[in-house]
Formats: sequence, C-alpha cells, structure tokens
Amino acid sequence: MSLLLRRIHLYLALFLIPWILMYAVSTFVMNHRFLFHERPPEPPPKYTTEREFTYPGELPAGATSQQIALQLLATLDLDGAHAIARPINPEKLIIYRQHPVSPRRITFTPADKKVVIETLDFAAHSFLERMHRRRGFQHDYLLEDLWAASVDLTIAALIILSLSGLWMWWELRVTHRLGGLALIAGIALFATFLAVM
Amino acid sequence: MKFPHINRRTHLYLGLFLTPWFLMYAVSSIPFSHNDYFEARDKALNQPLWTKTFDGPYDLGPIPESSQLKSLGARIVRDFKMEDSSYGVYRQSPVQLNIYVHTFWKSTQFKYFIDEKRLTAEDRRFRWEHFLTGMHARGGFEDPRFFNQLWAVIIDFVCLAFLIWIASGLYMWWSLPALRKWGWAAILAGVASFALFLLRL
Repeated sequence: MSLLLRRIHLYLALFLIPWILMYAVSTFVMNHRFLFHERPPEPPPKYTTEREFTYPGELPAGATSQQIALQLLATLDLDGAHAIARPINPEKLIIYRQHPVSPRRITFTPADKKVVIETLDFAAHSFLERMHRRRGFQHDYLLEDLWAASVDLTIAALIILSLSGLWMWWELRVTHRLGGLALIAGIALFATFLAVM
Repeated sequence: MKFPHINRRTHLYLGLFLTPWFLMYAVSSIPFSHNDYFEARDKALNQPLWTKTFDGPYDLGPIPESSQLKSLGARIVRDFKMEDSSYGVYRQSPVQLNIYVHTFWKSTQFKYFIDEKRLTAEDRRFRWEHFLTGMHARGGFEDPRFFNQLWAVIIDFVCLAFLIWIASGLYMWWSLPALRKWGWAAILAGVASFALFLLRL
C-alpha cells in the first residue's frame, strides 16, 4: 500500500508538472493584477489583421448566426471553441475563436461577404489567465473535453497528492512533531481567515 | 544536515502547512469546472437566489469618475455596518451603480439608482459552491486591510510552494535511479499532452 501510494504520488506529480507550473505562475499574475494590467478603465484588447477577403462560398438562406459561424470556421480551417459577440448585429457577425496562444476575431459582413480575420496581440499575462480560466465541458469539441478532463485530473491529483502526502508523513515517525506543528499552524491560520474574512 | 535531507523536509513541511489551501483550491475548482451541473441542481430547488432586505431613499451625492467609485462603496458598507466585508463598485449603466459586498460566507448586492436617489440591497442565498468559488477567486493586494493583505501574501506563498514542490520533487526523483525510466515517461507524456493542447485547442 505504502509503495503504491508513493509511486502514485511521484508519477502523477511528474505527469502534471506543466499544469501545476501554469496554475502557479498564472495565479501569481492574477494576484498581482495591476502589475500586469492597466487600472480600469482598461483599453480594449489590441488585434492585428491577419487577412481580409471576400468569402467565396454560399451560405444557406435563413442560416442562424451559429450555423454561419460553424460554416465559416470550417471553411477557414479554424473549427474549434468559439463564441459569437452579443448582441448579435445583423450587419456584422463577430466570432471569437478561442485559442490559448493566438485567439482570433473573425468579422463577417453578410452584405458584401467580407471576412476579416484578426489575431489578438500576444501578452504573456493574458495567455496565462486564459489558460487558468479555461475549463468545462460546454463545447462540442473532443479536444476541449480532453482539456476539461485534464483540469479534472489536476483537481483529483491535488487531492490525491495531499492525502498521500499526509499518509507518507504519518509513516515517518521522526517527523510527527514538526509535521504536526506545521499542519496545525496551517489549519489554524486558514480557520482564522474563515472567521474574519 | 545535508541538502537531500533539507530538501525532503522542506517538501514535507511546506506541504503540511499549506494542506488547507491545497485542498481548498482543488475542491473549489470542481464547481468552476462543472458549473452547468451545479447551476442545474440549484435551479431544480426553485428558490430565489436574492432576497431584498432594503429599498428606500438614499443620496450618494455627486457620482465621481468610474475610477473613483470605490469611495462610494466605503460609505455604503459603513452605513450598513458591513465594514468587515470586501466590496467592489461598478457602473451598471449611466443611471445605475452596482455595489457588491462580500465575505467568504455572505454576499450582498446594492443597486443605486442615480436619478431616483434610491438604493436597494439584496442578500444572496448561501450556496456551498459560491462559498468555495468565492474563496478560490479571492486575491490581490488592492484591499489594504490586514487580513486581505495577508491572504494575498499566502496566495503568493502557495504559488512559490508549487514551484518549490516541483523542484524538490524532481530532485528526490532524480536521487532514485530505479525510478528514472518511468519518471521520464511521465514527464514526457505530460509535456507532450500539454504542448498538444497549446497548439491545437
């Protein structure tokens, strides 16, 4: 049992190093928000135009915004998690294609079939925050579900690492006193926060 | 005391001290990750989320620029004897300000109607998932009060601890040659999966 727990503790942690690093660094960035962001009102995010062209395909008559978005993204080889800007403007359809590194804004004007693809300028702090906040099974894409599953795995791993760590500590009799002190100090401080905040 | 010994003890004691935060961040991530499930479950209860506790005349005086709204929140929390709470003030529209006042346990939403000089207050029904996500999302050094500053310092400490656990964990793994092969496999599988997500998500 003890050996199995030790191996699980080790290999799970080694596998999840990139996730844990990402969450640690992004949390630091979010905790020091005004070191990395301007104070409100923040300027709008900056995009750089990637390409502009007239959409060559045909769109079915009476297509909904979501149907148009799906067709456009598939044609542009950009199929993936996206959101449509609200409120929907009948003169322009704005699609935000999510991406960890280079999110895009695709603006489609049905009247002249003009498509403008813009890429959000890269900023390390925004990239980290996007990664930190990305979760959930709400998108209809396998890779999105796999990412959400990896987030769940990280959650489970944090619990397993904590509990297996406690187990391993309890096996090391020589560390009981100082370890118990550290644990009780942590719990007491946390309980104080719960009481006063 | 040699370095490997210090390394092991640091890994252990740091982990034990920060266990509550470690567990809190893990458990509170569940409602974030499965928000639809928790919302549907709560909706099935068919209970209002907000309960009005005040609706009456109130004069906040001239409304300053958006960046100066914080002072209005200070006055409201003082008048409603909620000085222990954190708060944020947002301009909902040209004629309405929203003031959110919260502790880990309780949330109150004030709405100030500028033209009418009227204020409403609503308490949010307690939900465990809100309690957890509220704690998870709490951070930053903007609130000057002691415990808020200390909480933010602890968050930095947790971030630093994650880096120390990774470094000390890698060192301990490397000291066990028999485990290197499978360890490398785990690291490479993790890095490769993460890189795939970065490129293809």
